[in-house]
Amino acid sequence: MNKNPIKLGKLVRRTIFYLFIVTLAVSIILPVFFLVSLSFLSTRESYSFPLPLLPSLKTEYSLTHSDRGYLLSVYDKFDKEYQTVLDTAELEKMSVYMKNQIGTPYSIPKIEERIAELENGGKDTIFFSVRKNLLLNYTTFFQITRDAVPALLRSLQIAGLTILISLSIGSMAGYAFARYVFAGRDVLKFSVLFVRMFPGVAIALHMAIILANMGFYDKPIGLALVYSVGSIALTVWITASVFMGIPESLEEAAQVFGATKWQTFLRVTFPLALPGLAAAAMYTFLGAWTETVSAILLTQFNPTFSVVVYQSLLGAVGNVNLTAAGGLVLAIPSLIFTFFIRKYIQQMWGGMTI
Amino acid sequence: MTASTPAKRFRDLGSKAVPYLLIAPVVIYYFFFWFRPVLVTLIKSFQTAAGAFTLQNYHMVLTDPDFLVALRNTAIIVLFSVTLEFLGALFLALLINRKFTGSTFFLFVAMIPMALPGVAVAAMWLTGLTAHGWINSLLYYLGILAEGAKIYWLAGSEWKLLGLIILIDAWQVIPSMMIILLAGLQNIPEETIEAGYVFGGNFITVLRKITMPLLGPTIQTAVILRLISAIQIWLIIVLLVGFSRMPVLVERIVYYYKEVPNLDISLQMASGYAIVVSFIVSMVALLYLKVSGAFGGKKEAAQ
Amino acid sequence: MATLTMQNVTKIFGRDVIAVKDFNLEVKEKEFLVLLGPSGCGKTTAMRMVAGLEEVTTGEIFIDDREVTELPPRKRNVSMIFQNYAVWPHMTVYDNIAFALKLKKLHKDEIDRRVKETAGMAKIEMLLERYPSQLSGGQQQRVAVARAIAVNPDIFLMDEPLSNLDAKLRVSMRTELKAIHDKAGSTTVFVTHDQSEAMSMADRIVIMKDGEVIQVGSPDDVYHRSGSIFVADFIGTPPTNFMDVKIQKESNGTHLVNTHLNLLLEPEMAKHLNGYDKNHIVLGIRPENIVLVGESDAALSASCLVSEPQGSHQVVAIQLDDNIVKVVAPPNPIIAPGTDVHLIFKQETLRFFDPDTTLAIND
Ligand SMILES: Nc1ncnc2c1ncn2[C@@H]1O[C@H](COP(=O)(O)OP(=O)(O)OP(=O)(O)O)[C@@H](O)[C@H]1O
Ligand SMILES: [Mg+2]
Repeated sequence: MNKNPIKLGKLVRRTIFYLFIVTLAVSIILPVFFLVSLSFLSTRESYSFPLPLLPSLKTEYSLTHSDRGYLLSVYDKFDKEYQTVLDTAELEKMSVYMKNQIGTPYSIPKIEERIAELENGGKDTIFFSVRKNLLLNYTTFFQITRDAVPALLRSLQIAGLTILISLSIGSMAGYAFARYVFAGRDVLKFSVLFVRMFPGVAIALHMAIILANMGFYDKPIGLALVYSVGSIALTVWITASVFMGIPESLEEAAQVFGATKWQTFLRVTFPLALPGLAAAAMYTFLGAWTETVSAILLTQFNPTFSVVVYQSLLGAVGNVNLTAAGGLVLAIPSLIFTFFIRKYIQQMWGGMTI
Repeated sequence: MTASTPAKRFRDLGSKAVPYLLIAPVVIYYFFFWFRPVLVTLIKSFQTAAGAFTLQNYHMVLTDPDFLVALRNTAIIVLFSVTLEFLGALFLALLINRKFTGSTFFLFVAMIPMALPGVAVAAMWLTGLTAHGWINSLLYYLGILAEGAKIYWLAGSEWKLLGLIILIDAWQVIPSMMIILLAGLQNIPEETIEAGYVFGGNFITVLRKITMPLLGPTIQTAVILRLISAIQIWLIIVLLVGFSRMPVLVERIVYYYKEVPNLDISLQMASGYAIVVSFIVSMVALLYLKVSGAFGGKKEAAQ
Repeated sequence: MATLTMQNVTKIFGRDVIAVKDFNLEVKEKEFLVLLGPSGCGKTTAMRMVAGLEEVTTGEIFIDDREVTELPPRKRNVSMIFQNYAVWPHMTVYDNIAFALKLKKLHKDEIDRRVKETAGMAKIEMLLERYPSQLSGGQQQRVAVARAIAVNPDIFLMDEPLSNLDAKLRVSMRTELKAIHDKAGSTTVFVTHDQSEAMSMADRIVIMKDGEVIQVGSPDDVYHRSGSIFVADFIGTPPTNFMDVKIQKESNGTHLVNTHLNLLLEPEMAKHLNGYDKNHIVLGIRPENIVLVGESDAALSASCLVSEPQGSHQVVAIQLDDNIVKVVAPPNPIIAPGTDVHLIFKQETLRFFDPDTTLAIND
């Protein structure tokens, strides 16, 4: 009888709920969307107002004679008219402009073809369109910042070393915390707070001297040692939480069936903890990979990738779209790992509270 | 019972030592790479450039005209951003914990800001907040901004800037707080909450009387971690508006170390600021833990 | 005190997990109704739909004449004992019991009176100031009971409330729960997969399988007049013995025949097969309805496989082809493996089942 209105009400409620969720999701990623979009814009587009919401896929050109040579114009979608961008007789200049400013690589012979068309066709103006190379900002970023590729590799190496150091040192303590009662257990627990109470920059600056003494200054291992200061304490927490999530009775069962403590750890505890430890490793990766401040302070000739992006940000008066491309390359591994980490949130944070 | 042989006693000692052996690397590591720098800073903060003992550095820091401004700015940012971030994070965590279809994907979306590197975030907001940036573009597309009109986000009053910084910081920090709260929520057995509904609670009463009290320790953890790092905010500010425009405490440390490293007093000021900041951070943390009842007054309920 | 009606209730999880299927049920006022069925058959789901913790996919639920299908739990006036008790760890026993009463905005004195009264019924008066972590499992369980009766619910839901207790406590709590029910007189739905619990407590038993109701009836009904092979097999330890037999009509009456057996049915019993047109049935007989007799009187002889003494009786297992038939016999003398045993069936207790539909023929 009154079944339909009820179902309708449910449907409406559900629709509103999902509309809300979508709105929320959109507003969270809106800034990221613009960063992504920016990384695909041509330099000319990225300095127009309003910024295009989406990058164009091709550009409409017109070519006509001028006193000095040729007038190259670009169709402006927003103003709905052609706008002259270049007045020159030099074809090379034209080609470079088309590539660097508009993002449409166009070789000189091709331009010559167009000019021949203009000269011989008896037309005042000729129109042509060129497809945009969407990835141009990305390739350019790696070309003009010559450090980019080695820096990327270095960043990977640093992140790897940080994971190695903090996970090996941190997970031992995490295991002790989860399984043993010992003096200083609470101090260990609060250490995650202590180490954060002192400004990281101040530590990083003094580390410069310590690292120099060790011969590690401006080397990947040096930064990894610095990053581990913050991440070990966190790893202790996370791994303690992971180990707490593994019932002790499982270990006891293994011992009852004849395993030594060490075998128990290798055959029972470790495999069970592995996903959680992997998540902890990824979490450490996020920190080491994205860190910039200590990297700026503690590198000289061997910057990390985040420093390279940072420098392009500072120098990027004319090239925000390149910085955006670099920033996104930097963001991609973090995003991938975040995607995996989300499944282990409870294991990582569920066991420990102050 | 046999009398304990030396071998057995040795073994006992060995097994007692296990936890200490396990935590030894952490202790050693922190001694070398944390405690030493801290100690050096502490000593430097009591020394003149020539190395003699002095209290002058602290006097300089505390009478520095920028100190009070930095303190005030930091306090405002901490107060509002931690509150805003906590409420936002709790809201998101409760929402995601409802486990609707698509909630795990939504969780990923909600975690994106925390995955983005600081520089990428700075690039994002810088390109957004300029007069020709995407924020104005968006407002224009939405019809909110008239043709030719621009909002100069980064210009104008300090308060506007503070507000912006709080919002931007919240955007990036909410996810890391949210995941801690979400983990805590997932630890509460579903039936404990459901019992609240069966026995007459509505959403608000169940949240107030059951969910929040059970989440208490988790909330403490999330808030204290956030509080400690919120007091040390500086990077996003410097990237957005540069040094000295909107002084905050840690920005002053970096300012003296990096921007004007060659003044006579640079090192003293920087060390002094660093110690003052740590002092403030630890006092605030202690106060928070005390007020929120993390010490002593633990309810017997804790299982 | 109220009645509960479920009409064509179906619950589908996700796309295709049908947890409860076209469920129809009427619980009478003050009735103690037990939902019984194997693990995963949908008992909890059915109960959670009554409580409002799970949305129904289709169908309606009524408490008295009030449709509650779409109401949130708090507007249904039901109360529930959860399988793991779900007492709130951050509240004292007193606060746990008083929670719902406070939400009803009762007067302080009234709350106090009700808390003490129900705590008395559940025998936890002296524990009121404790936190749940300071209680034993059985005590927590009593807190859950007290909390549930304090609200004076229309419907009282219990989801395997005794399953976490040790065997002895379980049996004594059974009696107490039943006594509390009789005193409070609330309509109760009790979920269990323990059949002896069901038999001893229920006014009526609902037997479920794969989300469907298979049989509803008094404990006596489902035990002695099982409506299907499933029920006859599910209820009773040891369960009903089944044998495939052929129906042979001869001059002296109807015989049930297989390789070991040739049973002449008494006319009373043979009548049941009158309307039946196939020539095979499944014969069901409960172990206690098979009687050991001397060789000359036997309908069936075979050798004993093993005998399990149970104190008050022994369970004798006999191998017939692939089947093992179990017999409840007097405790003495203990029958040694290999001994020949001779049996007759108590004819009036025989159950006939259609081998294709598995439903009972004699009702
Ligand atoms: N949230 C859910 N999502 C998907 N399937 C579910 C969900 N809850 C229950 N089910 C499925 O529905 C069926 C019935 O589950 P239910 O918990 O009602 O069984 P039960 O009879 O209470 O079993 P038990 O005696 O083991 O408690 C099961 O097959 C189960 O796997
Ligand atoms: Mg169940």
